[in-house]
Amino acid sequence: MNNRKKKWSEVVFSYLWSAPSLILILLIVIFPILYTGYISLTNMNVYHWNNYEIIGLENYKDALLVFDNGFLTALLLTVLWTIINMILQLIIAFLVASLLNLKGLRLRNIYRTLLIFPWAMPGYVSILLWKTGMFNSQFGLLNQWLEKFGIQPVRWLGGNVSAFLSCTVVNLWLALPFMITIIDGALQSVDKSYYESALLDGASWLKRTFYITIPLIKPIIAPSVVITTFTTFKQFDVIYLLTQQVGAKTGADIHTILTYAYEKAFITNNYGYSSAISIIIFVILIAFSVITNIKPKEERQ
Amino acid sequence: MRRASKKKRREKIGLLTANVGLIVLCFIVLVPILYAVSVSLNAENSLLSSDFSFIPKKFTLDNYRAVFMDEPVLHWLKNSLILAIITVFISLGTGIPAAYVFSRKNFPGRKIILQLLILLYAFPSLLSMTALYRLLTPMGLLNTRAGLVIVYTGTMAVFALWNMKGYFDTIPVEIEEAARIDGASNIQLVTRIVLPLAKPTIAVTAMMVLIYVWNEYIFAINFMTGSDTYTLAAGLYSLQATEMSGSWPIFAAASMVVSIPILLIFFALQKNMQTGLTSGGVKG
Repeated sequence: MNNRKKKWSEVVFSYLWSAPSLILILLIVIFPILYTGYISLTNMNVYHWNNYEIIGLENYKDALLVFDNGFLTALLLTVLWTIINMILQLIIAFLVASLLNLKGLRLRNIYRTLLIFPWAMPGYVSILLWKTGMFNSQFGLLNQWLEKFGIQPVRWLGGNVSAFLSCTVVNLWLALPFMITIIDGALQSVDKSYYESALLDGASWLKRTFYITIPLIKPIIAPSVVITTFTTFKQFDVIYLLTQQVGAKTGADIHTILTYAYEKAFITNNYGYSSAISIIIFVILIAFSVITNIKPKEERQ
Repeated sequence: MRRASKKKRREKIGLLTANVGLIVLCFIVLVPILYAVSVSLNAENSLLSSDFSFIPKKFTLDNYRAVFMDEPVLHWLKNSLILAIITVFISLGTGIPAAYVFSRKNFPGRKIILQLLILLYAFPSLLSMTALYRLLTPMGLLNTRAGLVIVYTGTMAVFALWNMKGYFDTIPVEIEEAARIDGASNIQLVTRIVLPLAKPTIAVTAMMVLIYVWNEYIFAINFMTGSDTYTLAAGLYSLQATEMSGSWPIFAAASMVVSIPILLIFFALQKNMQTGLTSGGVKG
């Protein structure tokens, strides 16, 4: 009897203590998501801000069945963007981390500190510095260098392909320090004795990498890789700030799903449609996190 | 004997190439920042000339003076600081007790709530911007600090709970049990034992919330009208959007002013990062 009473008080205590946080999340996170779901079923836009009507699943049909509306293109581009960025990130980060772990490298700590800088800088500041400092077609550093070699200035952010590549470069620049740090840490934890017998057998660097290093560090870096894949998929700042700022569009027409949703909401003011896009993205993200199974340690066991 | 020296030489050449490679890499990584630093300190606007150098030919602090005198940067700084402090305060005040309970107690509904929180963590708050806009407008919270604080605390609440819960999980329960046998109450347990042990994660969580508020621009420019309500991020954004090409040196100087506090905090807390960040990869 006493025991049950004690258990009850524990439950009450638990909910009492977590209530402020949970109520905050319920009101500011969950409720707006549900409301977004409701808006997605209406024709709310700039002309129907208050006198909107429920139109059922029309917005979802427009997004998923009409290719010309651009959502499917944006989705494909986002997938492509994620794949290219993740592959490049993993390869480059692995190579750099391997260099940092070379035996006898004296300055490694200086290199580590310098390489981490882009991670420490505020992301949007870096992106704006890239836009004005590096890519600007008149006084950007890249074109200044080209000029020295007598090459015509390039409008880096003007065309779709070159803008995509420029965004990729900036995204790599922003994301690599984190990935290098993770792989660097993983490499340091690898037991060196694994390599000794392999070296005696005369295994090449490539063989050692593929048969020893990668299998050993895979479980260590896996959670970070999954999370980085998410952030890459959800990337907004790089593409928006480089190519789509209001009044400063560069002419490139590349959209990830997030910049697409934003444009439909706050530039063309098609709130119903944009909300439908938001819900679709949320469903994709949920499916993705169920597949990759990122669960806390205790639940995974 | 000969073979050994040959091997040594090969290793030396390898190291040399690695060093050269890493130096080039560091240079490439730092170019955009170095360029901005140099432009912000250069008196002669050598922007359009082709003989640009990373060391300013004529040193000046005029651009920095202009940032503080001609632009309302100090005002924006005040706005950012107020928002950041309130948001950190609310996030920790609500997050710490919740994280403690979710880490230590087993109660019905715990597992489901935790799983729901993971899903919510995947949801970018940008996507519910329209809904938030419509909800804040009738409450008169648009264009107010309170409105932004609501958006920011909500966005960081899930992270704060998860991150600190993960760290509490790593603190052994035995210490608390011993104290409980000695007759400590729940509140005593938390304030005297758990909080001191959880300092690293509290510091890192506070830092992540602060950095988020400091860097957030998209809600700030859409929910705040009029530049006197802007935060630093929104202000800097508007600075580059409106008068970009004309004042690139001033913008470069402003960028440095905005970045330096964050750089200092980052490198000061870097050692805590490994221990304080449990869910990993929170950037972005």
